[in-house]
Amino acid sequence: MDSIIKVYPPDTLALDDVDLAVEEGEIHSIIGENGAGKSTLMKVLYGMTPPSGGEVHFRGRKVRFATPREAVASGIGMVHQEFMLIPSYTVYENVILGAEPAGRFGTLRHADTKPKVKELVDTYGLNIDIDSRIGDISVGAQQKVEILKLLYRDVDVLIMDEPTAALTPQEAGELFARLRGLNKAGKTIIFISHKLDEVLELSDRITVMRKGRRVTTVDNRGLDKAELARAMVGRDVVFSVEKMPASPGEIVFEARALKYVDENWVTRLEDVSLDVKRGEIVGIAGVEGNGQYELVQLVTGLLPAESGQVFIGGHDVTGEDVMARRKLMCYVPQDRKVSGSAQNMSLVDNAIMTHHRLNPQIEDRCEALLSSGRCRAFTSRLVEDFGVLAPQLDAPISSLSGGNQQKVVVGREFMLDTDFILLDQPTRGLDVGSIEYVQKEIVRRRDAGAGCLLISADLDELFSLSDRILVMSRGRIVAELRPEATTREEIGEYMLGAKEPQEAWRVREGIAK
Amino acid sequence: MKKQVLPALIGIVVALLAGLAILWAQGYPPLQSYAALFSYSLFSKFAFFSTLDKATPLILTGLSAAVGFGSNCVNLGQPGQFLIGAIAVTAFGIAVDLPAGLMIPLSILVALAAGACWSGIAAGLRRRFKMDEFITTLMLNFIADYFTLYLISGPMLDRRMYSPLTPMTNPGAWLPIWNGFGSAFLVAIAAFAVVSVLWNRSKIGYEWRAMGQNPIFSRTGGCRNDSAYLWAMLLSGALAGLAGGLMIMGGMQHRFVKGIGANYAWDGVMIAIVANNNMVATGLYALFFSVLQTGAMGMELETSVPSEFSLVLQAIVVLFVVASRESTRMLINNIAAELRMRRARGRDKGMGDGRHASNG
Repeated sequence: MDSIIKVYPPDTLALDDVDLAVEEGEIHSIIGENGAGKSTLMKVLYGMTPPSGGEVHFRGRKVRFATPREAVASGIGMVHQEFMLIPSYTVYENVILGAEPAGRFGTLRHADTKPKVKELVDTYGLNIDIDSRIGDISVGAQQKVEILKLLYRDVDVLIMDEPTAALTPQEAGELFARLRGLNKAGKTIIFISHKLDEVLELSDRITVMRKGRRVTTVDNRGLDKAELARAMVGRDVVFSVEKMPASPGEIVFEARALKYVDENWVTRLEDVSLDVKRGEIVGIAGVEGNGQYELVQLVTGLLPAESGQVFIGGHDVTGEDVMARRKLMCYVPQDRKVSGSAQNMSLVDNAIMTHHRLNPQIEDRCEALLSSGRCRAFTSRLVEDFGVLAPQLDAPISSLSGGNQQKVVVGREFMLDTDFILLDQPTRGLDVGSIEYVQKEIVRRRDAGAGCLLISADLDELFSLSDRILVMSRGRIVAELRPEATTREEIGEYMLGAKEPQEAWRVREGIAK
Repeated sequence: MKKQVLPALIGIVVALLAGLAILWAQGYPPLQSYAALFSYSLFSKFAFFSTLDKATPLILTGLSAAVGFGSNCVNLGQPGQFLIGAIAVTAFGIAVDLPAGLMIPLSILVALAAGACWSGIAAGLRRRFKMDEFITTLMLNFIADYFTLYLISGPMLDRRMYSPLTPMTNPGAWLPIWNGFGSAFLVAIAAFAVVSVLWNRSKIGYEWRAMGQNPIFSRTGGCRNDSAYLWAMLLSGALAGLAGGLMIMGGMQHRFVKGIGANYAWDGVMIAIVANNNMVATGLYALFFSVLQTGAMGMELETSVPSEFSLVLQAIVVLFVVASRESTRMLINNIAAELRMRRARGRDKGMGDGRHASNG
């Protein structure tokens, strides 16, 4: 790829004159922070978005794919972060979807293709049953199906976009073995990640990107992590947040035997009891979809619990609505675009949410009205205190970068100044600089005496922030661990259910029955 | 706000130019027709006052739609709420006879309440049975239409007349007309002021706007979306009901005549869409559309351009303003993107290849 330039309107320079050469048969990693342009570069290669300038050459031929379909036809395939599978179809049906072997009268001819798919599974040792439904198999297995889809279409170049984001450490290890196997069988693999360890473990060559530019491409021989991180971020990076040992005080949050059953009568959460004390951060680990979402919804009051109780600051808030609870807790939701902000509203309108009912300082003389002057003053204070880079207070929040938007959300919540803080993936999708900032802010609040409940899919984050880690699996808490006395692998085993729940949590299970 | 004004102005100017072209192509004298259009709507006292009369219901139905759409309630029941408001005021004005000082405020309240009841039915159906207000409000329009028709041709029919209409209301309920200026317009302006403050400055208004932009965000933030929804629906219905009520209280007729709703309600929906649910813009577009509608009569008189031409003009304005809102923005963005790319290219050439030398 030569001098690729991509500008997203109006003037986001996503790729600034990027050259990239990938050799046949290698595993080539592309690393960089969020927003460095890794995914955009791959989207250009894959025909998902047209480049504003530059050329793509594939096997010596100049190409310009208009659609992913053309890219696949030429032998380049991509596995996205979000899988594109139909849950109610079987593995086999998903694989042939879009390339169905049609016979006369448009009927499907499975006789030829089914053995072919099976053969592929065997050849590459994918170890999945092609007749099981997508909805019934694990995320790791779904990823295999995505790879299988591309193998079926005979691609030679596999692009993997952050493939480990949704996997447990064990599944990730398995994926790496598989990718090496594919590589031995002659496939070229482009591996996109922002996790240094993975990249160092897997790749032959590494390209580092930063702010839309290619910083360097190096052979993966004798590289060390700090060196790579410096290239990625442009400065030295501290890998863990500095914090003093916790000095927990009285309990500020307590959940007792929470149970939640969804509208399909599936029990999503069962007998979840936990407490958070002042001055500590309690982390919750788990593969996504194991009850963390429901736990958050029950704690915030967005969903009603089937049974069980929630106490915040000593008050029983089980029957209270969201606003009543928000007087006692602040909540950083996991998706700032979906639930943390209204993208078309101004910075001011986004900043005063929740405060508009709870903070008399932004009221007008008449209690039912908000004073626009005071709302602006409030917002400027937030912008200043939390280092938000914002052009104007009246501009829609969508004009801010992701990191700055998140600072607005975090700032808004922390300014509620409550003793209990619920953090649901507070750093997801942020660049390293913003992550550092948000994490420091969380620790600062802890040291000021707040109790934090942190839900995160990122084990690194849990290890660096938490004072205690609870592991959730299938809607239950299965273990309580101390970060200094456990390992990622141990947590992974609990997450997957490979390890029996700890004694203490099994006893609880017995009582529930 | 400033960013919205420019595309709106461009849209209006382009629409007027397009109208000019159409008139010319049809063989009418274009400039003369436009002169008539504006002189019969603005340039005499009588013309101006009748424009304001026409604007009165449009402002209110426009506000009704803007409040609804802006808070994510798809209230398309303005025609029904309008009729129910009108018939309720008529019934009240026939049955009750009080001095004007009491009668007028009471009639206004009756109109508001009747409209709110009608939209409240839809809100209740959604709350209780999760029925989409999009469909229920539309269906309630038919019920209101035939229900009022039944009333004015049966129980409330004026027996002395040969067509379906009601008797006149008691004079206490009549809004005064001063020297040709209908005071109903003042009621609409007062409603506009109240709604603007509610919408832009109040806590509930903030919740409506937030709910309109992203209901998950407002719910997560602790807003009670259920009750915000209910109040938005009630206010939306009340405004449409008031528009209907003022048709009876203002003007000269003071009775419910078949077809009294005309197209006011749908025009209001259209105005809210063109105004992008902004309150001030809704008021201004209501005035602009009533200029077109009022002037069209004069234009027909002077240059025999059919008065339906005003519909063509309205349609073009809608298309251009709504389309230009998005496309102007996209155009500006794309130009900016192109410039940015040129800048990136130019700088690289200037810097030479020094940067690449550092590669591993």
